[in-house]
Amino acid sequence: MEKERQKKIIEALLFLSEEPVSADRIAAVISVSVEEADQFIRELQKDLSTARRGLQIFNVAGGYQMGTLPELAPFLEKAFSEDVSSNLSTAALEALAIIAYKQPVTRIEIESVRGVRSEHVLENLLKRKLIRVIGRKEGPGRPLLYSTTPDFLKYFGLMDLQELPPLDDAMGEDILE
Amino acid sequence: MEYQIKLPVFEGPFDLLFHLIKKAEVDIWAISIADITEQYLTYLQSMKELNLNLASEFLVMAATLLRLKSKLLLPRPIRISEQDEDEELFEINTAEELFQRLKEYRLFKEAALGLETREKEQQKIYLRSTGGQKVMVFIRQESIYTIWEGANHLSDIMHRFAEATLTDAYTPAFSVVEDFVVAEKSAYIKSLLMLSNRPMSMNDFTTAGGIWEIIVIFIALLEMARQRTVILLQERLFGPILVQLKQEPLQKEEHNGERTTEENN
Repeated sequence: MEKERQKKIIEALLFLSEEPVSADRIAAVISVSVEEADQFIRELQKDLSTARRGLQIFNVAGGYQMGTLPELAPFLEKAFSEDVSSNLSTAALEALAIIAYKQPVTRIEIESVRGVRSEHVLENLLKRKLIRVIGRKEGPGRPLLYSTTPDFLKYFGLMDLQELPPLDDAMGEDILE
Repeated sequence: MEYQIKLPVFEGPFDLLFHLIKKAEVDIWAISIADITEQYLTYLQSMKELNLNLASEFLVMAATLLRLKSKLLLPRPIRISEQDEDEELFEINTAEELFQRLKEYRLFKEAALGLETREKEQQKIYLRSTGGQKVMVFIRQESIYTIWEGANHLSDIMHRFAEATLTDAYTPAFSVVEDFVVAEKSAYIKSLLMLSNRPMSMNDFTTAGGIWEIIVIFIALLEMARQRTVILLQERLFGPILVQLKQEPLQKEEHNGERTTEENN
């Protein structure tokens, strides 16, 4: 298969997919090595930007995904006005940050950091599939353990959990200037 | 969510304390417990005047602060068995601990702000979304989407199941079975077993009666097995399950008991 055709296939594949597609899968579809697939995708990314297209290919949650350019957001909002994206509440973001950095973590541990009860917040995050229950902690009561999901990575545009900024980085020496 | 007003919204007592410290323009470590307690209480008072509902956590924190302050004023000879009447939410006994907790909270609050920024950025990128319907077309063509769709549906079901079991709305069927009914049946089962003086088949108990009665009996049996008042035996694979009183000496000539299953929850 010649390269141009392979790149076309990748583009079509990423266009159709609603989920991030791993380089492995792409490589398997067009019968090339993973390195080659990665290379083709890099070329596609470049092609899209040099041709000044409205689309981009980006890395997220361990794969590649096609999406629109951020600067087009206001126009797309106009076009699809019914599609209102509901932002997470401050409470939800707080709980999510704790889970993201401390996972796996129990509800009590989350509440102890936040200083407030968090059942409802966790319920909502579960509903939105940003967190999941991955088991129970050994010990009294065997409380549920929460961790983040692949949807969490997608939601925040993260390739993996390592991409989260280190927690102590945010901790400047003097807190309040 | 639990606590929302038009004025500055605080996610909880830590959030409020943090805000007060920031307002005082001092370092967390430099603030005095007396000052912060006073400011905290003043704030709560003003909220009360505004007729705002205070989440209980705010009051627990007020109590915690007052206790810390009183400790500073009246040094206690020894720690006389620190009884935690407070909620477990804050196990704060020294000012040091309070500051430590505030610092930890601040760390995650900042991380949350970082996530919010990312959220905003990411929401500017629109992704293809077919609501999971058009993609189904590809199933027949045996494309890679077949597997993905299947897996997605499965995880969807599992998610929903997990949600259902986690929400309060989910009440297991057993909850309608009152405890005293189970206790009554347990007593009944026990009396039958004592009368017969030998293991009885589980079916002997569960054949009669309506569906609810059978369920109650079954639960009673499980409960008794858990409490080890009875032992559940099975002589062979798929054989009848026998119920035996625990106190009773094992009758070896009838049951060699090699497939003994003792229910321990």
